[in-house]
Amino acid sequence: MNERFGTVVLDTAFRFVIPFVMLYGVYVLINGESSPGGGFQAGALLAIAVVLSRLVQGEKAVFNISGNTALILAGIGTFLYGFVGVLTLCWGGNFLEYGISPWAMLAAEKHALGILGIEIGVTLCVMATIIAIFDALTRKEEV
Amino acid sequence: MLGIFLLVFLLFLMMTTGISALFARDLLASIIMFSAFSFLAVLTSLTLGSPDVAFTEAVIGVVSTTFFVVALERMKRGSSK
Repeated sequence: MNERFGTVVLDTAFRFVIPFVMLYGVYVLINGESSPGGGFQAGALLAIAVVLSRLVQGEKAVFNISGNTALILAGIGTFLYGFVGVLTLCWGGNFLEYGISPWAMLAAEKHALGILGIEIGVTLCVMATIIAIFDALTRKEEV
Repeated sequence: MLGIFLLVFLLFLMMTTGISALFARDLLASIIMFSAFSFLAVLTSLTLGSPDVAFTEAVIGVVSTTFFVVALERMKRGSSK
């Protein structure tokens, strides 16, 4: 898993697959309210793109996120979730009460925007956690 | 009626793949059988009319199979020394 694997056929095929997997992940995230899907599935799909790149091209993959960066990204995602919740607290509502936000919008639009905010946080956290687990599994042990 | 037959067939296949995953001698064969079990769980969820659960199960089946294969590879590398 740490060194390059496969020939030019596998390399080219995976280069074609990766953009579609990532686009599908973003679609699942954005369209998650009205169709199956959501933050968790979108994060797992985006993580699959990175893990596939690591599996085929090894540690020097063109499309790679290292384990430490992944841990920082997971923290950012969790912070985003909490930030949206505390923001509604600051506006005078309950925790994660999206309808309280002061913008001139319909209530349904406020709900959609708030849910999109926390779903982006969940996506970042799940994606980074899966990459961090994969990195911990494939890391070379220090002698 | 057709749905019931399909469901019973899928559940029977799930039972078969699950038991063979438990009792397989080769660990890689066990992982592949578990992957098949996960895919049959996806089909069962679709038959019961819950595409959200099926989608989650499909994605997690892929991720967990990858993790198992990587862990098995690492285990073999450690034991060969």
